[in-house]
Amino acid sequence: MAMANIDFTNLPRRMALTATVAGLIAAGLVCAVAWAMASVPSWWVSAPLAVLVGMAGVGIALAISLFWHQRIGIADAYLRRLAQLDPRDMTEETVSANLPQLPTEFPLGPALERIQAAFTRFCTQIQDAEQGRALLDIRCRRASQQSEQMSQILAGLAEPVLVVDQYNDLVLANRSAEKLFGFQVEGVEHRALAKLVKNQRLIDLLKETHSRSTGTARTDEIEIVDDVGRPCWYSVTATMLMAGATSTDTAPHLAVVVLRDISSQKAAQRRNAEFVSSVTHEMKTPLAGIKAYVELLADGDAEDEATRDEFLDVINTQADRLQRLIENMLNLARIEAGAVRVNKAHCSLNELLEEALDIVQPAAQRKSIELVAELSPMHIRVFVDRDLMLQTAINLLSNAVKYTPDGGRVTMRSRLVDDQVEFEVQDTGVGLSEDDCERIFDKFYRVEKDSQMASGTGLGLPLAKHIVSDVHQGNLSVTSRPGEGSTFVVTLPGTKQMTKVFERSTV
Amino acid sequence: MPLRLLLCDDDLAIVRAAEFKLSRAGYEVECAGDGQAGWEAIQRQRPDLLVTDCQMPRMTGLQLCEAVRGDAATRDLPIIMLTAKGYELTEAEVRQRYGVLKLVAKPFSPRELLKSIDAVLRGDNPAPACGESAQTIEPSVAS
Repeated sequence: MAMANIDFTNLPRRMALTATVAGLIAAGLVCAVAWAMASVPSWWVSAPLAVLVGMAGVGIALAISLFWHQRIGIADAYLRRLAQLDPRDMTEETVSANLPQLPTEFPLGPALERIQAAFTRFCTQIQDAEQGRALLDIRCRRASQQSEQMSQILAGLAEPVLVVDQYNDLVLANRSAEKLFGFQVEGVEHRALAKLVKNQRLIDLLKETHSRSTGTARTDEIEIVDDVGRPCWYSVTATMLMAGATSTDTAPHLAVVVLRDISSQKAAQRRNAEFVSSVTHEMKTPLAGIKAYVELLADGDAEDEATRDEFLDVINTQADRLQRLIENMLNLARIEAGAVRVNKAHCSLNELLEEALDIVQPAAQRKSIELVAELSPMHIRVFVDRDLMLQTAINLLSNAVKYTPDGGRVTMRSRLVDDQVEFEVQDTGVGLSEDDCERIFDKFYRVEKDSQMASGTGLGLPLAKHIVSDVHQGNLSVTSRPGEGSTFVVTLPGTKQMTKVFERSTV
Repeated sequence: MPLRLLLCDDDLAIVRAAEFKLSRAGYEVECAGDGQAGWEAIQRQRPDLLVTDCQMPRMTGLQLCEAVRGDAATRDLPIIMLTAKGYELTEAEVRQRYGVLKLVAKPFSPRELLKSIDAVLRGDNPAPACGESAQTIEPSVAS
């Protein structure tokens, strides 16, 4: 503060000294005049007169000095007080209140009042500047917080984000982008994107985006091989930043690229296409039988009654097969939509499993697979929807037969474990990898290497899982190792528990 | 001496229907339940024509075609392929890659199959007799 630097300490002393010196000079002058006058009359008259006049001069000088010393003391106290005031928290009123009252008709009053007014103005200016600085501080802090937040948001985004300038040099990349393309932006400025990202379609997309006006976006689906060499599909959107964001003409024209992983969507599309393909294949096969035999009958190729009966029988069997397939699909759709009508009743588990074995027997025979029943000697009563549970047992058995090489064995077991009922289907088939074991109950999933072994829709196991878990509050699990066969185990709550569950669900 | 045909399909009903029609037309028909059995039958005695399904256990129809074309003794064996495959196969592809003369789509007409076989064995340029099979099988799903 400039005010605080003014040194008021020596002011009164200097002023008193000046007054005294002035008094002494005046006394000297008076003495000189007296001496001059003394040359006229005799010395005894002039000498005492000179002394008297000199003393009078000294007295006047002392009086003047005293007069000013007192007033300068008041002014000094006033200015000292003023210098002590903090201009940051003073208003016009508080300045007046904090300063000593000046005597009326005080000769230095107008000068001190001007100083006070200047000080008050100075206070206002200081306070305005302080306020401005505080406001600026807040804005600065807020801006830096926002900037920090933005970087954190950008870094935390699962979607890879890149920003490039008009020369396709990389300006910014978040962690996901660094990971996807396997580079580190830190410490290196201005890098050609084409050298960092080996994907011509992405580079072309950016070139095209740069040629467009600001604010427009281009989107493309691009296959990118990630850092571990796995091909992934991304939906890539490149947007030219608005001109306002870069403010000046000389600022670089930036384009921001956001990548969204659509691999799972692509996989779902592929699974759906495969599903439709396998469903149509499954449907066409019995339909082919029906059409062929109808034509043979229509053409009169079957000349005797026995052949005609045989053909009609085949048509009937193929129609049944088609119907089963359609029912499988409908059941799955119904269960998934929660629209299945469940008719639970008490029945014998062993009888149900034997019926399933009988149905699958012809298929097993064709592949010379031994179908073994190791059912519990106890009468196990279960409270289930018989049709749905039969479907589950058939699906598990026919699945085992399908993926067991000729001459293998499929075993059906049932048992009571504590209060729970279990039945399992064990085969000597091709087995499943750990990954397959996890995905085998996904709808439409088919083990790729085994898909040539047998036709299927990828619906049987998901349907069985739904029936056991959702409809009967049980559990269907699989244990398997490649080449060592698989065991599918169905666990159902005991009859008492099941009845309770049912009663609760019907209340 | 009747001409010998080998029918290769894992679906018994299909095999029986085709065998019935073709035998009545005077051909000597041998049947095989999968690609492997088919290949063994071919090696035992080379037929005059092979009719094979595409999707079969042990050895698929395409693998069987590869085996046939890879063996000097059977390289020029005429092949007709029966298939219920959807969009994965086109006639142009199997014709070019496996030398399959005709792709017959299931469901098929035994009458038209017989016509195609007659045409192939007479050495005619097989006319698009088998309805759907003459067209390229388009994807059955909207992409």
